[in-house]
Amino acid sequence: MPRPAKACPLCESGIRQVNYKDESTLRRFVTEQGKILPRRMTGMCARHQRQTTTAVKRARYLALLQFVKGYAD
Amino acid sequence: MKNYEVVYIFDTQVPEDRINEKLERYHALLAGEAGGEITATDHWGRRQLTYPIRRSAAGYYVVVQFRTEPRALPEFERLLKLDEELLRYLVVLHEGEPTAPMSIATKADRRRDDDEDDDEGPLIPTVGEEV
Repeated sequence: MPRPAKACPLCESGIRQVNYKDESTLRRFVTEQGKILPRRMTGMCARHQRQTTTAVKRARYLALLQFVKGYAD
Repeated sequence: MKNYEVVYIFDTQVPEDRINEKLERYHALLAGEAGGEITATDHWGRRQLTYPIRRSAAGYYVVVQFRTEPRALPEFERLLKLDEELLRYLVVLHEGEPTAPMSIATKADRRRDDDEDDDEGPLIPTVGEEV
C-alpha cells in the first residue's frame, strides 16, 4: 500500500530560507556524528533539502557545527 | 548592487576596540568609493568553536550585512586573507528577506526555554518521525 506523501517539515513551519547561522535548527537535520540526514529521513522537499545542505556546510566552515564528532577534544 | 553578508571570526586575543577599528577599515572599502552601504552589524561576541581553528578554542563572531558593487569584493577579501588576527571569514550573497542576523543572545534565551512552549509557531517535528 502506498504511503501518503510526508509533508516537508520546513514548509509546514513556514520557513522560506534556511539560515546557516541558526545552528540549533540545523542540528535537527544532522546525525549525532554531524552527517547530513538524507531526504528519506528528513522528509523535506527538494528545495529545502538543498538549502539545508548548503546551510550545514556553511555552518561547519564557521565552526558552528562540527565536521566530525569528537574532534575538538 | 548586490546584497551580501559576511561573518568574521576574530581571534579572542584581539581587544574589542581593535576589532571595531579593523571593521571600519574593511567596510570603508565596501561603502566608500564603491558606493555601497552597511545595512546591519551584529556582534555575537565570544563564542566557543566546535573545533579548534589555528589552535583557538573560541572566536569573536561578527555578522555584517551590506550592499555593494561586486567589483569591490576582490580587494576586500584580499585584505581579509592577509589579516592574521582573523581566524576565518565567510562572504555570501544575502538573498530573500532581510532578516536581522540571529543574535547569539536571543538564541541562548530561546534554548533555555522548554522546546515545547516555544512561541515561534509550529515547530519542526522530530526528524524521521513516521506519520
